Amino acid sequence: MNKNWFLSQEAFDALLDWLDSDREQAGIKYEEIRARLIIIFTGRGCVDAEDLADETINRVTQRLSTIKKEFTGDPTRYFFGVANFILMEYMRRKPPQPSPFPPTDSNQVEVEFRCLEQCIDSLSEENRYLLLKYYGAEGGSKIDQRKQLAEELGIAANALRIRAYRIRLGLQQCVEKCIKRAEE
Amino acid sequence: MNPNFDKQEMRSYLLGNLEADRRAALEESILSDPGVYEELLVVEGELIDQYVVNNLSPSERQQFETNFLITAERQKNLRFGRLLRRYLDSQPVPVPPEKIPVAVRQIETPAPAKKFLPFFSAGPFGRSASIAVSAAVVASVAIIVFICWVSTRKPVQHTVREDSSHLMKVPLTPGSQRSEGGSTPRVQIPPKGFDVRLELQVTNTSFRNYKSELLRENNSLKTADELKAEPSGEQHVVPWTITGDVLSPGDYKVRLSGVVDSGQDEFIDNYSFRVVK
Repeated sequence: MNKNWFLSQEAFDALLDWLDSDREQAGIKYEEIRARLIIIFTGRGCVDAEDLADETINRVTQRLSTIKKEFTGDPTRYFFGVANFILMEYMRRKPPQPSPFPPTDSNQVEVEFRCLEQCIDSLSEENRYLLLKYYGAEGGSKIDQRKQLAEELGIAANALRIRAYRIRLGLQQCVEKCIKRAEE
Repeated sequence: MNPNFDKQEMRSYLLGNLEADRRAALEESILSDPGVYEELLVVEGELIDQYVVNNLSPSERQQFETNFLITAERQKNLRFGRLLRRYLDSQPVPVPPEKIPVAVRQIETPAPAKKFLPFFSAGPFGRSASIAVSAAVVASVAIIVFICWVSTRKPVQHTVREDSSHLMKVPLTPGSQRSEGGSTPRVQIPPKGFDVRLELQVTNTSFRNYKSELLRENNSLKTADELKAEPSGEQHVVPWTITGDVLSPGDYKVRLSGVVDSGQDEFIDNYSFRVVK
């Protein structure tokens, strides 16, 4: 395998074509596969999970003309096979050590907190209520409070979990953008 | 291969202790099943929240720090979890909006937050006259409401009683009850030489004794065991006296556990408070 191989635009286009004939859908699938590979490598204790996910995608892309001829089925299964192979290689090498948790800078925390306040203010009234009610509960009342909230919303408890998570995820992305702008 | 994974297996996976065959099956599902992938992310968020409020068992906590927090991305997620918890602890009980639609609506992405300065963005003026009139009406109502609120508002309650023996008494209600009844209690920074008696309200007095841990930003500052519950008016509290110099402005949490007759610890609740100048 050529370790110095780089993903060219042409090779990348071929990969997207293989993932889906619709270019937009292919782009979404590519991002999803990459994010999931990162989760898998992280789950195996790989500190540099993102690099390994990219390495997996590069290997698949590099062999794409052969794969197209020989492999039929869901492309994600092929990625999974290559990821396992890369994982074995990784384990044979001396893995890098996790980076230490960066120290907390109180000024930075205040900037982040103000960003969070702004992002929460920008939520709709309903979503802000859901966020505060769902995540605000602690201790023994948490289960009851979430059950009550699910009833208020007329949705199942698990649907509430997912919905709360999606609001939280959007909020985190909003805060990250805000912090970036504040640093500029 | 069983494609069904429960929440506990996902937790084990994230903490790095799921059996190899189940791990491989789960990994394959992560790639092929969008539902499994999203559920794993939800469980990850829940794990972070439990770490932040110190609700993981000691072994889970160690696995979290050793096996979970290995990438910058996860460290970033933990940082956000702490930030969110700090915000939530500073908020009063949310009031339901007038109308909550029954159907699950599409989840919005928050609008990008504005830069800190200038504080005011361009207002609605300059658009249509009707918008300007509406804005003026809304502003007038807001001013009236604000004036009423200021005139009726009580000063910030510092939940502290001082006595003549250089002891500040701080009654604290459990987080599970506080979140239904008010915001995080505020405590003025103790004068030099003062001790602080934290009075942790409890309902279950059947434990042999109690253990407590004082935390700031998830760092343990002090622990105590062999604490006993005692009556306080119509309630019971577990008193814990600490030296005042431990406290500086910031958010604190006391984690209280009860020790049962077999010697096992049983988590009771968290007690949050904020020290202010």
